Amino acid sequence: MSNKVEKINIKAALTLATTTLLGCHNLAQAETAETDTWEFDTAFLVYSEVDRVNAGEAILNAKKTFDDDKILNLKLTVDALTGASANGAVAQPTVQTFTRPSGNGQYQIKAGDIPLDDTFHDTRVQFNGQWTQPIASNLTASGGVHISKEYDYLSLGVNGNFSVDFDRKNSTISAGFSYFQDTFTPEGGIPKPLASMLIGDSSAPTWDDEFIKTRIGTEDDKTTTDILLGFTQVINRRMLMQFNYSYSIVDGYLNDPFKVVSIVEGSNENNSGVTQDVIYESRPDSRVKQSIYAQSMYHFDSTVLDISYRYMWDDWKINSHTIDSRFRIPMGDSLGKESYLQPHFRFYQQSAADFYRPFLIDDNTLPTFVSADYRIGEMTAFTVGLKYGMLINNGNELAFRLEYYRQTSTDAGFNKFGALNDVELYPTIDAIIAQVTYSF
Amino acid sequence: MSKRDFKLACLPDGYSIIFNAMASPCEILIQSKDLSLVNKIAITLTQEIWRIEDKYNRYDKHSVCSLINNRAGQSVDIDEETYLLLNFAEQCYQLSEGLFDISSGVLRKAWFFDGSDNLPSNAKVFEALKLVGWRKIKFDQQQVTLADKMEIDFGGIGKEYAVDRAIILAKQITNEPVLVNLGGDLAVTRARLNNEAWHVAIERPSLDSKLTDTTKQDMIISLKQGALATSGDARRFLLKDGKRYGHILNAKTGWPIDNAPRSITVVAPQCIQAGILATLSLLQGMNAEKFLTEQEIKFWVRR
Repeated sequence: MSNKVEKINIKAALTLATTTLLGCHNLAQAETAETDTWEFDTAFLVYSEVDRVNAGEAILNAKKTFDDDKILNLKLTVDALTGASANGAVAQPTVQTFTRPSGNGQYQIKAGDIPLDDTFHDTRVQFNGQWTQPIASNLTASGGVHISKEYDYLSLGVNGNFSVDFDRKNSTISAGFSYFQDTFTPEGGIPKPLASMLIGDSSAPTWDDEFIKTRIGTEDDKTTTDILLGFTQVINRRMLMQFNYSYSIVDGYLNDPFKVVSIVEGSNENNSGVTQDVIYESRPDSRVKQSIYAQSMYHFDSTVLDISYRYMWDDWKINSHTIDSRFRIPMGDSLGKESYLQPHFRFYQQSAADFYRPFLIDDNTLPTFVSADYRIGEMTAFTVGLKYGMLINNGNELAFRLEYYRQTSTDAGFNKFGALNDVELYPTIDAIIAQVTYSF
Repeated sequence: MSKRDFKLACLPDGYSIIFNAMASPCEILIQSKDLSLVNKIAITLTQEIWRIEDKYNRYDKHSVCSLINNRAGQSVDIDEETYLLLNFAEQCYQLSEGLFDISSGVLRKAWFFDGSDNLPSNAKVFEALKLVGWRKIKFDQQQVTLADKMEIDFGGIGKEYAVDRAIILAKQITNEPVLVNLGGDLAVTRARLNNEAWHVAIERPSLDSKLTDTTKQDMIISLKQGALATSGDARRFLLKDGKRYGHILNAKTGWPIDNAPRSITVVAPQCIQAGILATLSLLQGMNAEKFLTEQEIKFWVRR
């Protein structure tokens, strides 16, 4: 034991002695987690709304664990979106003509149809990087960046999070923040809120000059600041509870530049319910959202039930309830190695923003804020789905998910009259979501 | 739970098999929801672990170990397994230049590490030391002969050996990830599914030297392959005139190793290797970290 050469030989000699004792000839090397391996998750998702938006999404997630549980996570998401989306105008018993958001050309909507803008297509590339590391025995810190780019949209974000474990890691308290800066540069510029959509001969020499009068600039931006507080508690070996509270302030340009509102003749007029004008929507330039969230995971003898509930409210007077549940049923090796089935059910309900109007009436003065975007109207949605997973190739997980989504916009108490009685005001959206994931 | 029984606990992605063996709480984790497989693993592995306990427990008067000790001075027939273990003990004795000696257990007759200041007399230690000495043990593949009144004790290697044997059996039965943990000495058959590491909580004795201190903080270690073993026990020591006498005894002098760490945890391909490396490094006293660094292995030292 007196010099280094002998000491290094101890390990080799012990390996030999162990081999003799245990009768195993090719001893595996011990390997702790800080080996230089990356773990990858890949996913491909197709989202298809009936007659509307179709989206394809590919995700590559790479995770590397370094010494002392430091974790680097990199995620790349690419989405491609095509199809049509409701522009906010009401359906009419006659053909309607709308100008494209770019100002280049017009499109016509058949009588009785909900107006859809079919120029909806975009490709989004999104990158997220996150670094997580323990900074004291029970304290973990995490920080990340976010970049997302579309043709007419750029989003930059940073986030930070601290979490403290106590009670032998049975309890965790976390606090996080994130900050996003988003810039819109829609083709054709930013429409002037409440300005009338210019409709007419887009090849006329005066068109461009007239169109520009409905614009207030080429770009605008918004910032989002989120604060998240969380508490996770292991109740016992079978049960885990999580509670979150989030506070979010959004400031800046909150309109959707592609959404408009119809102004119709009042109920006592001759052409009651017939569109007189179409104006660009106008939303407040700030929004404060809060939400509370509770989740519980319970492991039965073999199955796992995961239920969560979220209540969100904001100063636009939107509030929403979300109930989400998953039930994981192991199937043993009956449907593939270590296979499982996981039914999914989600229910969502929201009330309308206080400035939501499906349409405006001609003789009223224009409100400061108005939007007919169904996404901030009253609605109910549910998702039912099934995920099926198994292990292939030495423990890598392959999973398939198929879901059906139905969103029903409902009447928040607005009277229909005249021409509006003959058309559908509140669209229903049906969508199919299919996803394949593979982890290796 | 009776002494020779196990119970199953459900985990999100598998089962935990909980039982007692070798005076320790033990656990086998299997990342599979196949109950028939889990039961097979539970029965096969616990039977093997209890078999080894019965065979080499010096406190069990029917054990092979007791048989050898009770017949010190005479030759005792042994089987191949016992021969291999004695052979392994011989290697460890040589590698440690006599510091590690499975016949040194009789020194316990002189030393009681109860936290008091009751050091034994030199005479008492010397008396006990006369019965220590691997060189006085003769063995071959058929027989072993201890000198009169000598005793051997497989306590320093038995638990780790049982971990390794259980891992070998688990690998024969299944490819699913299995972890065997016998009172903190543990090994895994492979990484968890998707090449994830096992996260193992190791009891970390408080750095506070007060005997009354019972707060323990777990240390989480990630392990993808191989084994991990801990030697030392921070709660077993004597304290006299400000000097601390840990329970790690030098088999050559009969006295505690000076400046030995309170405990050492080592990662190695096999549990028995990890255990011996941890023990050998404890025996290096203040040079423990240097010794471990030179072995180029992953380790944690608590002083």
